[in-house]
Amino acid sequence: MTEAKRYKAGLIHSLNPLGFNVERWSYALHRATGVVLVGYFMAHIFETLQLSGGSGAWANTMNALHSLGPMEMVGLWIVAGSALYHGANGIRLILNEMFGKLMGKPILPVYPYSPTSLGRDQRIAVWTVTLVVLALWVWAGLYLLAGLGVV
Amino acid sequence: MLATYITAIILVFVLTFHLLLESPLTGKTLDDTLTFGAASNNMVYYQVVFGLLLITAVIHGLNGIRAIAVEWLHPKRFCLLLNLIIVVLMAFFLAVGTYTLVVVG
Repeated sequence: MTEAKRYKAGLIHSLNPLGFNVERWSYALHRATGVVLVGYFMAHIFETLQLSGGSGAWANTMNALHSLGPMEMVGLWIVAGSALYHGANGIRLILNEMFGKLMGKPILPVYPYSPTSLGRDQRIAVWTVTLVVLALWVWAGLYLLAGLGVV
Repeated sequence: MLATYITAIILVFVLTFHLLLESPLTGKTLDDTLTFGAASNNMVYYQVVFGLLLITAVIHGLNGIRAIAVEWLHPKRFCLLLNLIIVVLMAFFLAVGTYTLVVVG
């Protein structure tokens, strides 16, 4: 296998969490949601730029977005879910990587090499993030897709 | 990495604030929050927050894309070209966002 092919295989495999632990799933989802958010952010910059053109330009932009029909709200729902997951999982990653929390203490590498970083605390954190995000995403769905949930 | 962590921490706060302004917790419907008056008023009242959001989101987002791309391919020339493209894109989006904030705010 050439060097370039090996690199590409590495990327594809790194984004495929099938058959791996829950932290690997969160890694792949963190990457995917990050890319979604960057794409939305770039579009959002140009969307808000229309505010500088006055109320007419803003109305035209909103009308163009509304012409997408249900896809507009479905798109926003996907962006909301991406933001919720990326943010909540990002807090877990900051606790892990910046403050060394939830990681367990380093041990000597003894067979079968169970990583302390994937201990009970880490799994609880991953599942807590998942459940909180799912609950908020359902709420966002009710708000965006059905107009419900206004407090 | 430090820039990624610092911008991530700031983004958690400013993006939460931005989402709360558009959220059902304000007692408004989504259509209410998307009127020209509501959107431009937010820009006027919270100009500093949106400025901070713009800077941190541009740095964090585009640096994240750079990190993914560098993991994919990492010959030296590719990395140099990629860094250049990312810096140009950062400058471009910062300029467009700053223009909006100044003109509307």
